Amino acid sequence: MQLTRPPKRAEEKPKAALMLAAALALPGVLPARAETAPEYGMIGVRYLHYLDEQSGLRRITVNSPSLVFLAPIAGEWSLEGGLTTDNVSGASPRYHTLVAGASKMNDRRRAGDLRLTRYLPWGTLAVGAAYSVEHDYGSKALSVQASVSTEDKNTTLHFGLGGANDTINPVNTVVVNEKKRTTDLLLGVTRVVTRKDIVQFNLTQSAGHGYYTDPYKTFDTRPRERIHNAVSGKWNHHFSGSGGTSRLSYRFSSDSFKTRAHTFSEEYVQPLPEGWTLTPSLRYYSQSAANFYVDAVYDPVLGPPFLAGIRPGSRQYISMDQRLSAFGAVTYGIKIARQFGPDWSAEVKLDRYEQRGSWAMFGNGSKGLDNLTANFVQIGLYRRW
Amino acid sequence: MVAQPTIDATRDAGMTVEFNAMGGPCELRLAGLPADSANRLARAAIEEVHRVEAKFSRYRADSIVSRINAAAGGKWIACDDETNALLDYSDAMHAASDGLFDVTSGILRRAWDFDRSSVPSAARLAELLPLVGWTRVQRRSGEVRLPERGMEIDFGGFGKEYAADRAAALLLDGGALYGLVSLGGDVRVLGPRPDGRPWSIGIQDPRDPGRIAAHIEVIEGALATSGDYERYFDLDGQRYCHILDPHSGMPVAAWRSVSVLAPLTVVAGGHATVAMLKQAIGLNYLDSAGVPYFSIDAGGHFHYKNIGKH
Repeated sequence: MQLTRPPKRAEEKPKAALMLAAALALPGVLPARAETAPEYGMIGVRYLHYLDEQSGLRRITVNSPSLVFLAPIAGEWSLEGGLTTDNVSGASPRYHTLVAGASKMNDRRRAGDLRLTRYLPWGTLAVGAAYSVEHDYGSKALSVQASVSTEDKNTTLHFGLGGANDTINPVNTVVVNEKKRTTDLLLGVTRVVTRKDIVQFNLTQSAGHGYYTDPYKTFDTRPRERIHNAVSGKWNHHFSGSGGTSRLSYRFSSDSFKTRAHTFSEEYVQPLPEGWTLTPSLRYYSQSAANFYVDAVYDPVLGPPFLAGIRPGSRQYISMDQRLSAFGAVTYGIKIARQFGPDWSAEVKLDRYEQRGSWAMFGNGSKGLDNLTANFVQIGLYRRW
Repeated sequence: MVAQPTIDATRDAGMTVEFNAMGGPCELRLAGLPADSANRLARAAIEEVHRVEAKFSRYRADSIVSRINAAAGGKWIACDDETNALLDYSDAMHAASDGLFDVTSGILRRAWDFDRSSVPSAARLAELLPLVGWTRVQRRSGEVRLPERGMEIDFGGFGKEYAADRAAALLLDGGALYGLVSLGGDVRVLGPRPDGRPWSIGIQDPRDPGRIAAHIEVIEGALATSGDYERYFDLDGQRYCHILDPHSGMPVAAWRSVSVLAPLTVVAGGHATVAMLKQAIGLNYLDSAGVPYFSIDAGGHFHYKNIGKH
C-alpha cells in the first residue's frame, strides 16, 4: 500500500507580510559581508631591530629587513607573501643564563612564504608554502586552509592543516642530518555578535617528532615527540564614542613536555585626525617549566654546569634552556601609524619585553635565572596599488 | 605554519555627502571607517544610485524600461537577471496589494497633468484604463512583453527605494557601521549614530514644506514615506495627488502621508504606498503587515503605532 502525505496546508500569512519575502529576493539589497578578494595590491618594506640584554650584558642582536606583498588576481584570487632576512649576532648561554659560558654566534636566516587564496561565495580556500634556511637549520612547510561562512556571513568556520619538515645540521656535528616533522591542525570560529563585537575561538594542535634538542647547549636532551595543544579566544570591541577598537585575547596552551602557558593580551587601536593611528599594547605571558628542565642550582663545590644533587647522565631528558623554565613576561609597546594620502602608509612600532622567573603565575618560577629584557623597534612603509 | 584567521578593521569619525539623484536631494552619512575607505565607499554608493537610475529610468530612451515600453504590442524583450528580479518584485507587490500596486499604472499620467490643475474627463480615463493591468504583462524565461501598443511599465514606484537598499548593502559590505542613505526622503539606516544614539528622521508636514510634522527615531532599518504632496494640484478645496488608483484612475485622498519603518527601504516604501492606495482601510493593511507606522490623515490628524515619534 502506498502511503500518501496529507497535503501541506499553506501557511496563512497576511498578504501584506509577503512583501518582505519578495524584497529579500531582490539582488544586492542585503549586505553579503562575505570575505571578498582584496581590491588593491600592497607592497611594503619592514625593518626590525631586536636587542636583548641579560645581567647587564648585550646578548643577541637581530637585524631583519623584510618585504611583504599582496596582489589581487582576476577579482577572485589573491597572492600574498613575504621575504625576510634575519642577521643574528651575539651570544647565547650554553646553560641557564650565564653569559660567561656563552657561545658566540653570527648567523643569517633567510625565509620566504607564499599564500594563494581563492574567494568563493561561501568562503575561502587557500594553499601556502614557506621555507626558511640557516647554515645549520632548514625548514619547509605546506598548508591548506578553508573558511566557510553562514548565509548571513555572521559566523565563519575555519579549518587548517599544515605540515613542516625541518633538517638540522649543527656545526659542532653532534648530530648530522637530523629531522623534525610537524603536523598542525586548526579549528576556529569567528562570530559577529553585534555591530561592535566580533569574537573568535581557535583550537590548534601541533604534533611533531624528531630532533627537539638544542645541539649547542651543554646537557640538553629532549624527548623526540612533542604534542602541543592551544585554545584561544579573541574579542574585538569597537567604541563608538572614541572610534577606537579594543582587541582582547587569551590563550592557553599545554604540551607533552608538561609546559603550560597562559597569554593575556590587549591592544587598543585609536584612530586620530590627519590619518594618524595610535595603538598601545600590553601582553602578559607565563609558563610553567618543562618536566625535564632543571633549576640553576649548581653543585657548591664544582660550580656550573654541575647541578646540585643531579649526577650527569642520570636522567633520560634534561635541559637548562631558560626558554623551558617557569617564568612570567610582560611586553608593552606602542605603534604609531600614519596614512599619507590614499596609497601610502608608514608605521613605527616600539616594544619592550621583560622576563622574570618571579613573575610566573605558577608557583614561584624557576630559580637562579637572570632577568631578561629585550627591545624591538620595527619600521614599515607600505604602498597600495 | 597554519595562520590564525585575522579579525578586524580600524575605524574613525564620520562624513556627510550630499548629491542629487532620482529627481531629488540625496544624502549619505558615514562613520566608523578610515577616511580613504569612507571616500571610496561613498563614491561607489553614489555611482550605484546613478547606475540604478540610468538603467531603469523611463526618461532615458536607452534604458531597459524604455526598450520594453517601446516594444509594447510587438516583440519580446530579453531582460537581464536584475530586470527580471524587479519584474518578479512587481508581481509580488501586485499580489500583496490586491492589485493596487501596479507598475503598469503610470500610463494614467497622460490624463493627469499636475501642472495644468485640471481633472481629466471620465472619457479620457476610460481610454487609458484598459492599458493598465499587470496581469496582462506576458513573461517567459527571461523575457517580457507588453501585449498592447501604448502599455507601459515603470519601476518608479520602488526604484528609489531599491537604489537606497543597493547603496546601503554596498556600504555595509565595505565595513560601514554607522550612517544612513537618504534618497529624496526615503532613508535606509546602516546603524546608529557613532555615539550609539538613534538617528532622528524628520517627517515633512504634508501641507507646509518648510515644517517637520514629527521626528522619528531609527537605529536600524528603513523609513519611507508616501505622501500626497510630491506632485499634486488643489482644486475647489480638494487635493489631487500623483498616487492613482489603478482601478479607477483617480488620485487617493484618505491620507496626506504614510511613513513606514521596515528592514528594507523597498519594503517600507511598498507598504507606505499600498497603505495610501488602500485609503480607508490603509491602517488595517499596515496592522496586518505588522510594521510600525506614522500616518497623517486627510484632516491632519496623526495615527501611529510602535514608532519612536517625538
